[in-house]
Amino acid sequence: MTAVDPCDWCEEVLQPYLDRELTDAERQEAEAHLDGCKYCRKRYKFEEGLRRLVRQAAVEPMEPALKQRLSELRLEL
Amino acid sequence: MSETSPNEARRLAEGARERVNFEEEALALADQVYRVARGVSRSKEEAEDLMQETYARAFRSWQSYTPGTNLRAWLLRILTNLNIDRGRRAQRAPDQQPLEEGDYFLYNRLEAATGETEEERVLERLSQDHVAEALSAVPHDFRDVVVLVDIGDFSYADAAQILDVPIGTVMSRLHRGRRILKKELADVAVDSQ
Repeated sequence: MTAVDPCDWCEEVLQPYLDRELTDAERQEAEAHLDGCKYCRKRYKFEEGLRRLVRQAAVEPMEPALKQRLSELRLEL
Repeated sequence: MSETSPNEARRLAEGARERVNFEEEALALADQVYRVARGVSRSKEEAEDLMQETYARAFRSWQSYTPGTNLRAWLLRILTNLNIDRGRRAQRAPDQQPLEEGDYFLYNRLEAATGETEEERVLERLSQDHVAEALSAVPHDFRDVVVLVDIGDFSYADAAQILDVPIGTVMSRLHRGRRILKKELADVAVDSQ
């Protein structure tokens, strides 16, 4: 029996859950809680969306001119 | 003129071919390496300089790369070392920043500030500009780990190898880096509502 509030526990394991670093038992416990708790579920979904946003924040592509300059750094044969 | 034996000629040709293969593989990864370079740099110009230094060094020291191992990680190790050498880390010790907010903090703050109650709508209050601005405010040690894991999609173990720190350090910096990112995001996004 745990004395920790289940929503507090769920908040604590949010990052390792999304990183797939929880043990199977922990993951099942988190998912069981999420099934029944809209408060935590919303926050988990938000966090997934935030991760996507962070991933996309750095997709500004490289300038073709830079790619050309990198290629020119190759050693002479 | 010195004579080159057939064996020697074959060895030279083979070495040249290996080098060309290496260079082509390294250049094929440039877009992915650039994402990390851009994430750890303050500006596009800084990222471009870092890329050129990284590739110049990689091409010079190609023989220290072991074929068949993770070339992207090898390149990023050069990149992060160069970035440290640039001495751009002379800033306040980030570990001394007081910061202990739970992971629901950003959501709660946005929900309260906007009155939105659906997670999709709350998320829409954040733009990529907000994220870029917040990321640039995260201290470098933490930002490097967040960029490698969350943008570069490296495992904790790969990030540890690239940055030459223990895996536990990667985990604690990642934890803290994400918290700092959220705190910065809350500041930039809520203030602009």
